Amino acid sequence: MKPEDINICILRIEGTNNEQEMYDAFKRLGTKPHLVHLNELSSLKPYQCLMIPGGFSAGDYIRAGTIFASRIKSNFMDELNNFIKEGYAVGGICNGFQVLVELGLLPGNPKGNGTITACLSRNDSARFECRHSILKHVSSKKCVFTSLLPQNEQLIVPSAHAEGKFLLSGGKKAYEKLEKNGQIIFKYVNYKGETNAPYPWNPNGSPYNIAGICNKRGNVFGMMPHPERSFFSKNEHGYSGKILFESVVKYIGGTF
Amino acid sequence: MSDVAEINLEVSDFELKKISEETGIGLSVDELKVVQEYFQKKGRKPTDIELQALGQAWSEHCCYKSSKYYLKKYLFHLKAPQNINVIKEDAGIIEFDKDHAYAVALESHNHPSAIEPYGGAATGIGGILRDVVCMGAQPIALIDPIFFALPTTKSSVIPKSVKHPKFIFSGVVDGIRDYGNRVGIPTIAGMTCFHSGYLGNCLVNVGCVGIVNKKDIIYSKVGNVSDYFVLAGGGTGRDGIHGVTFASKELDDDSATASRSAVQVGDPITKEPLIHACLEANEKKLLTGMKDLGGGGLSCVVGEMALAAGFGAKVQLENVHLKEKDLKPWEIWVSESQERMMMSVREEHLKEVLKIFEKWDVPAVIIGQVIPEKRMELTWKGDKIYDMDLEFVTTGPSYKRPIRPVRINNEHNNYSEPENYEVMIKTIINSLNCASKDWVIRQYDFEVRARTISSSLVGHINNETHADAAVIKPLESSQRGLVFTSDVNPNTVAIDPFWGSAGAVDECVRNIVATGARPHSFADCLNFGNPEKPDKMWEFSQAVQGLAHVAGKIGATFVSGNVSLYNEGPAGACPPTPTILGIGIIDDVDDIITVPFKKEGNLVYLVGKTRDEMAGSVYFNLRSLEGGKVPKVNPYELANASAGLLELANMNKISSCHDISEGGLILALAEMCIGNGIGASIHIKDLLRGDISLFSESNTRWICEVESKDSDAFESNLQAHCTSFALIGTTGGTSLSITHNKRKLADLPISELIKEWQAPLWEIMG
Repeated sequence: MKPEDINICILRIEGTNNEQEMYDAFKRLGTKPHLVHLNELSSLKPYQCLMIPGGFSAGDYIRAGTIFASRIKSNFMDELNNFIKEGYAVGGICNGFQVLVELGLLPGNPKGNGTITACLSRNDSARFECRHSILKHVSSKKCVFTSLLPQNEQLIVPSAHAEGKFLLSGGKKAYEKLEKNGQIIFKYVNYKGETNAPYPWNPNGSPYNIAGICNKRGNVFGMMPHPERSFFSKNEHGYSGKILFESVVKYIGGTF
Repeated sequence: MSDVAEINLEVSDFELKKISEETGIGLSVDELKVVQEYFQKKGRKPTDIELQALGQAWSEHCCYKSSKYYLKKYLFHLKAPQNINVIKEDAGIIEFDKDHAYAVALESHNHPSAIEPYGGAATGIGGILRDVVCMGAQPIALIDPIFFALPTTKSSVIPKSVKHPKFIFSGVVDGIRDYGNRVGIPTIAGMTCFHSGYLGNCLVNVGCVGIVNKKDIIYSKVGNVSDYFVLAGGGTGRDGIHGVTFASKELDDDSATASRSAVQVGDPITKEPLIHACLEANEKKLLTGMKDLGGGGLSCVVGEMALAAGFGAKVQLENVHLKEKDLKPWEIWVSESQERMMMSVREEHLKEVLKIFEKWDVPAVIIGQVIPEKRMELTWKGDKIYDMDLEFVTTGPSYKRPIRPVRINNEHNNYSEPENYEVMIKTIINSLNCASKDWVIRQYDFEVRARTISSSLVGHINNETHADAAVIKPLESSQRGLVFTSDVNPNTVAIDPFWGSAGAVDECVRNIVATGARPHSFADCLNFGNPEKPDKMWEFSQAVQGLAHVAGKIGATFVSGNVSLYNEGPAGACPPTPTILGIGIIDDVDDIITVPFKKEGNLVYLVGKTRDEMAGSVYFNLRSLEGGKVPKVNPYELANASAGLLELANMNKISSCHDISEGGLILALAEMCIGNGIGASIHIKDLLRGDISLFSESNTRWICEVESKDSDAFESNLQAHCTSFALIGTTGGTSLSITHNKRKLADLPISELIKEWQAPLWEIMG
């Protein structure tokens, strides 16, 4: 597919508020993004990529992302599962990551039965924090959102959340398995690139400094920091948040 | 008609006063006599809803009865070519580029925040967003200047009905954070100021800037006769009854319980889609007018929209959708419930407008229609309950209240130099008004919308220093940026309201220029005490003249603002606080200049003149010294220096720049060192004593870092602009060392400066 034929669904409900910057990011790459209110979504058929933007969907007055997730579940969960099975890309940033976890799509389980195995819990600091994070691309596996970014490359990306501590049921073993599968994509690091850098480098206290993960297949991806907000801020090798959007556009273009 | 009562005004003065108090309308006996006369001519008694509507419309908050005389005399006539529509509307409209304009609004939410800090601060944001949206503009930035008593204040000195400043401070920040972050507009700039005078009377000012395509600008007036009034957004409830009358008197011991219902309840998740829906309907050209419901609720908005076009209105009050049952008609009419907008719509567009709101799950109802006569008529389930001439309702009284000048003590006390400069410097850096505010700033999402070029924090990650101004790039298609700063130093305004206020404008200009942008517009939020007290009224009149002294001479004027009087509580009046929001424009956001030193071996220049102007300085306050001169402003010096620095910025001759304000030269230098961890050796030569040289807070000064190859260009340009400057040192090393007239005063490691500067708020607030 050519970029101009790629249709991207940016899903919103009341309180999602990062959709415009997500739209701009895809628009700059020549694709066709669409801002779609959940009330207006009749089918995923026209789209090759579904993005869930950041914000405070429905106010996040209960655990972040749960209301949006349950509205997706009751509206089009089967269709979404098929969408993923067919290899289309699904991404969630910040609140969108929280929604994908609440849907059981991240990190996902082998049965694919939607069981929730993780959560994004309250930051250790117990408050909302907005600060720049340094992220290291730690995966060698080809997640469709980072395939153009070399391993160990570091990006500066803004974080802004109150609930970003990635907790996984199953303890140490579960984390090791995730690592082994190459599902851990980004880790918070300091200027020296250390993946055990403490707060405030790791802004929320995530074990193993996890900032972003994907499913086993690599076509569902979520991260807490905001690559759409660092689209133009290049590192010394010329990489910026833009590379994530370029990666997924290239993947879709080459696959469908 | 059992829901509506008639009120007999044919009674004694004493009884009139009682009526005003019992109904909570807050009108004086003389004002009620005007009402009495009006209804005598009509040959009937007023209804409770009519009287309530007049109470709202004639409140200080709505009709500026004490302040408009001075505002008209000194500020409103100032003109600038970029102004498109200023002062008259909810937000000022100023040209951004050929096709776009920006909208600016600034308001106070002081009284509600003193009673209920979380809700008061949150709804302050809600209100200011609506002021910008109702011009058809997309909000792009929130600016929050907030003022409290010291959070370390001992409980024993706090009057019984006053909440602890630490509680208020933390509640206000929570409210701004939870509303601003949820609604998805970056809180990008602001200030946090501590002063004992804010005990019991915190100030919560809130500004918003939006961007609008010129062809989409819409005003707060209806289009034509028989347009429909469509009310959209949240339901109307009992929250926010008498908000404006409550804001137009002093707080007392009973305010916390008696006026709790005057504070509204905010709901950002109704607001967020409301903004989308209103802007969508406007962009589709389906609206003839739009206005937000703020102070006075429906009672103000309908009449003002109709009268602005020379018409009147007829409203069926029972059509208003409610949050709770059994509201009395007058309560519906004056309620200030949040998240509501009023639109005027032609009949042929009604269906489409209502459909847009349905898509966004936002309730919208038709409540009335425009009529040709300048009259307001309300019915309640078929009965007429209100019939008044709009000009009578909305004109309101205007007063030239008595003033009494206060003698300003300029006498110079003798005081010794500090024994140990290093200790003194650390005390200044560590003081709450100088120390890092990142505890506050980081709780706000200053990056949302992905248009933030530079926030209030700049420098190495997790060691950032304060920026002079924040920068936003509003449009996808243009490199042009808007620059925001908000400033005032209540310490100097309290001593000399004229020069203190002039200094606030000077500081705004300095901050904008230091960022490499040209000053473009100002908004003012004038927070003062009780105008019925002649000394407080004098402070106000002096302050307005001080603002005009500078604003008229630097190519930017006041485009919008708000007056908040009666900021007095059981512990006294707040210091006079004219908060200024300054907005600048920069042609290419890639060219902004930031505060931190950029590299070793560069030259450090002091631009401007340091004078013996110590009154109100942090140094004097920390040493409990009084007297001395307040920093003055020469607007021509300011204009010259600004022009020179902007030319140099355009030529890329300035590596970093910081204005000198509170804390003096030393704090400015320390903040430049902190950002990137680069030190400096400073050698000052002047005729002043060391402490005056380092700690004076004279206006119109900057520090610039310049590469040595650019020094000739730098110096000759400033000379050409008649601006004084001095080469005071070089960057480099790991410490800030200071020599004054060959005497070594201090040598402080940057790591120590960072520690002293970062820690205080975190230690107090946790």
